[in-house]
Amino acid sequence: MSDTASILSFMELALKKAKLALDRLEVPVGCVIVENGMVIASGSNRTSETRNATRHAEMEAIDILMEQWQKAGLDCAQVAQRFSTCDLYVTCEPCIMCAAALSIIGIREVYYGCANDKFGGCGSILPLHEGASLEFSSTSSKARAFKCTGGILSAEAVALLRCFYEQGNPNAPKPHRPVRASQFQLGIGSSVDH
Amino acid sequence: MPWQIVHVPGKPPSSPELSTVDVLASVIEPKLANTLVRQLNLICPLENLRHVKRVQKRSVEGKVELSVILCLQNEHESLCAGMPNDVLQLASTYQLSPYKTKVAKYAALSKEEWKEQCKLWPTSYHPSTIPYELTGFAEEESQLIVKYMKFAMRLMRTPNGKVVNAAVIVDPLGGKIIASATTFSFQHGGDSLGNIPEDSKSKLLPCDFSRVSCMYPWRWTEPRSDNGKEKCDGNFSWHPLRHATLVSIENAAARDRQLFPCLEYQNDLPLRNGGVCDCSENNPIKRQKIQFSENVGVIAEDASPESLPSEVLRPYLCTGFDIYILWEPCVMCAMALVHQRIRRIFYAFPNPIAGALGSVYSLQGEKSLNHHYSVFRIQIPEEYY
Repeated sequence: MSDTASILSFMELALKKAKLALDRLEVPVGCVIVENGMVIASGSNRTSETRNATRHAEMEAIDILMEQWQKAGLDCAQVAQRFSTCDLYVTCEPCIMCAAALSIIGIREVYYGCANDKFGGCGSILPLHEGASLEFSSTSSKARAFKCTGGILSAEAVALLRCFYEQGNPNAPKPHRPVRASQFQLGIGSSVDH
Repeated sequence: MPWQIVHVPGKPPSSPELSTVDVLASVIEPKLANTLVRQLNLICPLENLRHVKRVQKRSVEGKVELSVILCLQNEHESLCAGMPNDVLQLASTYQLSPYKTKVAKYAALSKEEWKEQCKLWPTSYHPSTIPYELTGFAEEESQLIVKYMKFAMRLMRTPNGKVVNAAVIVDPLGGKIIASATTFSFQHGGDSLGNIPEDSKSKLLPCDFSRVSCMYPWRWTEPRSDNGKEKCDGNFSWHPLRHATLVSIENAAARDRQLFPCLEYQNDLPLRNGGVCDCSENNPIKRQKIQFSENVGVIAEDASPESLPSEVLRPYLCTGFDIYILWEPCVMCAMALVHQRIRRIFYAFPNPIAGALGSVYSLQGEKSLNHHYSVFRIQIPEEYY
């Protein structure tokens, strides 16, 4: 359980990561993973740099922990146990892919900023956070549910995304609008920062 | 039973959810039909309803009755309040009596959906927009599809005899394998179809599917007796999210970065002052030069000389590529393929536990997504099992 002040402060950190993504001309989405009140990993979108459209902030942060925990010699059960005590703070509702991934790793709780009405996997398009309604004999094949709370500092998250889309996506196949450095600078300056 | 390629529609044809919009229509004298339709198309064209026919022809008590759509009906207004003046005038000139009715909002995607739509009001249906479903594949293409699926089948066995999911990304135009992967290991492009031996049959049954991670995505937490023997690549000895599809996407992305390095953002470049590097302006000569000077080694390892991408512009992600997967992907993998802009998905075995392309979810029918692929199931002849 987290109190409002700490939820907000963790989301501020996620927003900071999102701003870093914007500086790298990436879709500005950022996240932090919190265990026992401590940020243990963070991530931001790296889809342009990697040319891998699955490299969302959540996947980046999860991979940091996977690498770290394996180096420390944790086995499957121990890794699963750790993830089950972790919460994720992400500036935009996890997409269908990331929501499924979060269910697979068994995250405890997710807090997000703005809703994602095109791809959202935590209620907007599919309610993957609810787990599967399917009935299986084995509990280990059951889709795990996680608690999910949206709308935290969503205006700030939207402002960042707006900056990105107004400047034009330099990696889109045929840019509708050219990338303009001046506009980009303006975008950064006018983004919500508090 | 021969090999079969079956289209997997986004929605089961039996239960089409029909979105509709309200329009105002009126019964008309058949002899006025031409005049009225011509005038209505001028003063009130149905811009976003091109699939909807303007005139409906019905047989009422043995008599032909024609109705024509006058205009869209706004939800909150009384019957004629929202009518454009021109239409209103036309209606009074010809003494039409408008009534409200429903028409299909979107063009039909299947014959079944079209039949349902026509029960409301006739629409047109152009099967040419979805050629695979109705016309099937040409013989030559079918043979290639089968070959690629056989290639994927060769990958699915781990050295110690377990069965895992396997994925192969293919550029159908260039006839090239872009990347392939299984859950635990991967190969990096370079295979051309000619290298696939014909005797690639592999006995599939009976075997243990518990390692097919798309089928049991949540089972990774269970301790395994042979843990650690099958190594993942890279930084992980195992990873609950490195399903074959995700790894194949990663490999395709790595190949893209190697072949077209000029779009890489350099860390030491000040991005704000035109950090997007020059060759983004589609300069093939420049691009070619960079490839040959910096990546000769990589290319030589990666592909046969005739498949050098010198003439090819860098693809955006996996645009235009197909993927062959043994098991129907789970929802994480299916969405990853939306993100990576795959064109077509071919899978062999349905995944009743977690499949996202027909079994549990039908992601290919999710209209809100910004990219849509076509999905096919390949039925493998029994002698291959």
